[in-house]
Amino acid sequence: MTKFVLQRLLSALPTLLLVSAFVFTLVHLTPTDPVAQILGEGAPAADKDALREQMGLSRPIFEQYIDWLGGAVTGDLGNSLYTSIPVSESISTGIGITLSLAIAGMAIALLAGVPLGVLGALRPGTTADRLLTTVVALGLAVPSFWLGLLLVLVFAVNLGWLPVVGYTPIGEDPGAWATGMILPAIALGSHTAAVIARQTRSAMIDALESPYVTTLLARGIRKRKIVLRYAIKNAMVPVLAVIAIQMSVLVAASFVIERIFAVPGLGTMLIDSVVRADYPVLQGAIVLVAVIVLLVNLGADLLYGVINPKVRPQ
Amino acid sequence: MTDQPREGTLQSTAVLTEQTDPAGIEPGDGAAAEAAAGPRAKARTLRRMLRQPVTLFCLAMLLLQVVLALGAPLIAPYDPAAPNVANKLQGPSGDHWLGTDDLGRDTLSRIIYGTRTALLASTESVAIGLVLGVGLGLFVGYRGGWWDRIGMRIADVMQSIPALLLALALVAVLGSGLGNAMLAVGLIFAVSFMRITRAVVLAEREKLYVDAARVLGLRSSGIMLRQVLPNVSPPLIVQASIALGTALLIEATLSFLGVGIDATQVSWGAMLDASRQHVSEHPLLAILPGAAITLSVLAFNLLGDGLRDAGSPRSAPRAGSGKKAKLPIVSTPVPSPDDALLRVDGLTVTDRNGAQLISDVSFHIKRGETFGVVGESGCGKSITAAAILGLLPKGVTIAGGSIRLEDSELAGLSGEALRQVRGKRIGMVFQDPGSALSPVHTVGRQLTDAIRAHSGLSKAEAHDRAAELLTLVGVPNPQERLKDYPHQFSGGMAQRVVIAGALACDPELLIADEPTTALDVTIQAQVLDLLASLRERLQMSLLIITHDLGVVADSCDRVAVMYAGQIVEQRSVEDAFAEPKHPYTEALLAAVPHSETDGEPLATIPGRVPPAWAWPQGCRFNPRCPYATDDCRTGTVPADADGVRCLRVTELQLAGAR
Repeated sequence: MTKFVLQRLLSALPTLLLVSAFVFTLVHLTPTDPVAQILGEGAPAADKDALREQMGLSRPIFEQYIDWLGGAVTGDLGNSLYTSIPVSESISTGIGITLSLAIAGMAIALLAGVPLGVLGALRPGTTADRLLTTVVALGLAVPSFWLGLLLVLVFAVNLGWLPVVGYTPIGEDPGAWATGMILPAIALGSHTAAVIARQTRSAMIDALESPYVTTLLARGIRKRKIVLRYAIKNAMVPVLAVIAIQMSVLVAASFVIERIFAVPGLGTMLIDSVVRADYPVLQGAIVLVAVIVLLVNLGADLLYGVINPKVRPQ
Repeated sequence: MTDQPREGTLQSTAVLTEQTDPAGIEPGDGAAAEAAAGPRAKARTLRRMLRQPVTLFCLAMLLLQVVLALGAPLIAPYDPAAPNVANKLQGPSGDHWLGTDDLGRDTLSRIIYGTRTALLASTESVAIGLVLGVGLGLFVGYRGGWWDRIGMRIADVMQSIPALLLALALVAVLGSGLGNAMLAVGLIFAVSFMRITRAVVLAEREKLYVDAARVLGLRSSGIMLRQVLPNVSPPLIVQASIALGTALLIEATLSFLGVGIDATQVSWGAMLDASRQHVSEHPLLAILPGAAITLSVLAFNLLGDGLRDAGSPRSAPRAGSGKKAKLPIVSTPVPSPDDALLRVDGLTVTDRNGAQLISDVSFHIKRGETFGVVGESGCGKSITAAAILGLLPKGVTIAGGSIRLEDSELAGLSGEALRQVRGKRIGMVFQDPGSALSPVHTVGRQLTDAIRAHSGLSKAEAHDRAAELLTLVGVPNPQERLKDYPHQFSGGMAQRVVIAGALACDPELLIADEPTTALDVTIQAQVLDLLASLRERLQMSLLIITHDLGVVADSCDRVAVMYAGQIVEQRSVEDAFAEPKHPYTEALLAAVPHSETDGEPLATIPGRVPPAWAWPQGCRFNPRCPYATDDCRTGTVPADADGVRCLRVTELQLAGAR
């Protein structure tokens, strides 16, 4: 088991290296000049060159990358060009907030998506199933930021049940943190809920039509037990792959949600750094997201082995 | 999963013409299963698509959008960018049907111009994705080797960064503006289009015609291109339709975030962003552009779904169904001895179109007897077995007749009463042990659940009983093997596990539906011997469904020969094999190869079993029968005392087994 995890981590390294090189190059191709951003467009050329030299931006890009990589291995991702705060420090607070939002969104997506998918599969073609299919189709089409706005409009502005926007750190007031997370998590999770419901429904229909279900029926095992114990576990095998993909989708989608609800996560930081061409923050954040995606996929593979004995690492 | 043939392919020991069983829901509509390439298939896909109201609605929606986008300057009542501060934040009125925004610009006009931006953005990015993706996919697929590895590694890298994030990064590089944003999105789509194309190229490369072309000295790439493009277009069209929706959503998102678009362009996403400050007083400003995005994405998604459904043969309506007048349901009472355990009388089973899958089937099984039902695939053998335990596929129902187990009627039984019969009084063994067991549950779990379905045993007691059962069916090391999963068993061992499950609650009757078909020839005899010894030890009755006359000869006391949903002969095995009375029995026997006939061409039965909705008039075997006369083609043929349905039964002298 440990060997399997280590192997997987090792095989992810080349991808990670490529991602970082790709992002590094990409970020340094940005037409926005950070020096001009800091000193102003009209600053004397000599001052600009001096600052560029000081920031190490005049060296060949390959050298800069090796430097950055050397630092990254030891956890040093450089400092922000604007605030001089170490990147690792600022993105680690941001990623915590983003991840907690993404996990809350996934929790909502699973709680809604799996039962809905199972219910649809039990009676395919009925009115209830059609209604469900319609809701799922809508869920797939509604942009999460619009849903967020509507939720705020209804539950915060009109009904006043929940706070409008704003984020309370969990350390300050866990209650306020939780109530503040409800609307963002729903807005974020609804699309994923629809994806999971659709996958679950088709996987459950396949499972319920499988020969082993006929066998179980022929043994006199109760339908309820067949659905709950056998069909759902079989159906979860293909759904799990979707959940893994959706987890990384949620991390990216939470960037937009953060903006609507004024949550100071990685996304807010990232969009600021895009606009300001803050290279170190930008590349640190993107590489971090890539690391998270790779870890999520590894986690999914391990979980895959738990429910599907055929691929269980020996 | 559903279209697996239930009867499997034919063994090497008989040369009967095989065909998909109508019991498998989808009868042999081979044409529909062809790839969607070719003009006929395309026309069929189109026809099916036009029959889907949702798809038609989506097409109409798209058409409307295209008209709005192209004709925006003519249709929109105002200049979408012209501010009129005096008129700002107005509600809907005669002048401004949908009101105005915070700069006094007309909302309706902005929505109309937004359509233009949205469609332009999504078509642009999907076009870029298609050109790049298909080109790269063809390239890495053809060249293979390092090119392929590098291409796929880059695809991995691209896909380990979430699409929206990649778009953000690319926009940062390329600078904002709609064109750049959509180029970024196009690059992302290119990766998934590349994967699809590459997969099709790899599949085509394996095909024989590529080798053949090489042998002939032709350039295989030209031929493959002609093959690959039609094969790759159906999945690409579906994916492209969905990608159009995704692109629209990403465009809206980027505009909403203020990174995608410059201020001169009108975008629904940017409208939403601008509305945020006024949303509590003017909710309409936020609702309208969001609704426009949702509807457009919905149209693209549903169109993609519709195209996929129309292209898949599964949704094809069955050819020829419902065209024929329904057959009358005939039930001929047949006397059966008092000591019979199971009595099937005049059983008729129909599908949802009213086609008779089996007609007037009558037989009985005595206690301790082994009864065989034999015939080609598609004759209704499995349907007969499934009907006994109420396991008929969806839409297939018992239309007449009765099934009695001692004194209780099984036909029409449901719910708890049916459950009490299943497993407890009648056990069942299936054709393919590989699929008859749940792959993700241990064998022990599946056996103990079967045991506890009808007994009050505790978990520990059930576990001991499961180990006993495995010993009984000859699985060595039972305690250990209970912890194993089905894929850890060989085919023969897995079938023993399935048999153990069927025996879990000591049934009086064991139904074995093609129990050896999916097994290696060397294992078949072992499993048959096991069934025979179990029948003796447990004093059960055995019903064996098979297409293999060898199985019948080895194991059965009496046999029913089924053809086209009817029993055409029902006698003791010795009699039926020595002196068959029905021409179909004779033909089956003649088709069994024998060592003495080396050098002679093997006999086959010409033609094949017709599908259930096209049973022939008169004797159902008449089109394939060498002895058929004009009388055989009209009226119905009743069964005689030996269950023989043949008008010429007294005059024909038929050859038995050699």
